Amino acid sequence: MNARIAWLTAAFDWQSRAVMNRHLRLYMTGWHIKVLPPALEPVTMLVMFGLGLGAYMSSIEWRGREVSYLSFVAPGMLAYAAFMTPFFQALYASFIRMHFQRTWEGQLTTQIEMRHVVWGEILWAAVLGTVYAAIVSIVLALFHVLGLLTLDVRYLPLIVPLAFVSGCAFGAAGLYFTGIVPTIDHLNLPVFLIVLPLAFASATYFPLQHPVLVKIATLNPLYHLAEALRGLLLGGAVRYHVAALLVLSVAIVLVLVPLDMRILRRRVLGE
Amino acid sequence: MTSPLLEAHGLVKHLGGRRVVDGVDVVCHAGEVLGLLGPNGAGKTTTLRMLYGFLHPDAGTIRIDGSADLSRMKREVGVCTQNDTFDGDFDVRQNLEIAATYFRPRPENVPARVRELLDRFGLGPYAEARPETLSGGFRRRLMMARALVHRPRLLFLDEPTTGLDPQARMAVWDLVDGLRAEGLGVVLTSHYMDEAERLSDALTVLAAGRVVARGAPKAVLGDLVGEHVVVVDIGEATAAGVMPWLAGRGLGAPGGVLREWHLPLRADDLADFARAFPDLRYEVRAPTLDDLFLKLAL
Repeated sequence: MNARIAWLTAAFDWQSRAVMNRHLRLYMTGWHIKVLPPALEPVTMLVMFGLGLGAYMSSIEWRGREVSYLSFVAPGMLAYAAFMTPFFQALYASFIRMHFQRTWEGQLTTQIEMRHVVWGEILWAAVLGTVYAAIVSIVLALFHVLGLLTLDVRYLPLIVPLAFVSGCAFGAAGLYFTGIVPTIDHLNLPVFLIVLPLAFASATYFPLQHPVLVKIATLNPLYHLAEALRGLLLGGAVRYHVAALLVLSVAIVLVLVPLDMRILRRRVLGE
Repeated sequence: MTSPLLEAHGLVKHLGGRRVVDGVDVVCHAGEVLGLLGPNGAGKTTTLRMLYGFLHPDAGTIRIDGSADLSRMKREVGVCTQNDTFDGDFDVRQNLEIAATYFRPRPENVPARVRELLDRFGLGPYAEARPETLSGGFRRRLMMARALVHRPRLLFLDEPTTGLDPQARMAVWDLVDGLRAEGLGVVLTSHYMDEAERLSDALTVLAAGRVVARGAPKAVLGDLVGEHVVVVDIGEATAAGVMPWLAGRGLGAPGGVLREWHLPLRADDLADFARAFPDLRYEVRAPTLDDLFLKLAL
């Protein structure tokens, strides 16, 4: 196989699936506990936003029309889950597997190579982000059925491909920081300096109006994910945001995955 | 003799800008235990890591069962690393099951193989236990069992008994001996000289990243150390003038252990030594790999 693209085609190798299946097997032990956070978090948020913030701000202007704040924030919560889950999975869980549990070292003594470990971690992060987003979608659909939210729920299944593709990019970004931070305490730095600013400056919980923020947001895949989902669920143009999300996600993967492999190879193997 | 199971030639590896392994050759046959020895920093673990595909050599070739394809080579080897690298998220049985998923072609009848390994390594009572709750000896057993789950033909053991009590060490020796009898090739590194001497059919001795000796343990000792070792009190030997005598014969500085010198000597040197120091009290013993390490470390 051409060595130049081996890093990319490794995503489809059985070894990457084997790494991912290991994580899936662990997730399935006690799955009923693990689905609680993504199921309960949106309920809490919707109730709190609805009863709390919603009391002060019953409607909000979005793309020139008035929508209820709860309807505005629901797709944002979906995007937020699809962003945070893969990022944190590739950041904290991967760091623990790499540094404390030495799981990767054990895997690397088998037919699995570093490129498979990297892809396995990224793909698992993306799958987990998709699963969490799907659970949030189900909660949103229930709120819709109960008449507490007005969403075009026919488009909710589209969260699956969007969350998966963007989850690969967010996972690759999380893994990059895993590769460069010296200790687990240092993981707070990318979280507070990069992740949270990106998460909030992305039209997830409030619309962006400041021109500088709007400009910055055009390079933020989370912004495009939130706006694409909002377009789908509230009605509106989505093509631009879906295209921007795909382009940015693919670009992040193409840049960061080879970098992740190089950094982690140096870190784990000493090469 | 049959063709070697493992054949590595001219291995070179740089780490951190330093040439850690410098043109090392390693050969191991089926049913043979090869001891890879050397003092700290000799390049043993780096060589081992290249042999089992963890590190890529900067130069040189590795063939396992005639193949140089990395994935095929890795299918044929089992690895027991120096540190415990079992999967702490799973119990003992699951560790073996999951390790089996990391190989293609898939190992046949994995549940039966896992049961067989649990029995053989005495891990049955701990099958549902977390690895971190096991004693050091049983952790090593788990590491070895995991390395064998896919029925490899070549087993790498990196300091397999470090930190174990004598009973656990001997249990590991028995297991290694049994694997050799079944026709597995075994490459091991060890700091325990008695272990290397007892287990190894052949030795490859490294120093500063190069092979300094290879062959059967007795032959390696004879070549590198000498036929006899004279043990003498440093104070008495100094007073008797042993140091100038050694220097005069070009034998170099002796290895010191506490208040004793351990002087490796050939038979003719020993005869001359006895004639030169008739009143000196000393003990003559056979050389061991400890003497070899002392000599290499000087």
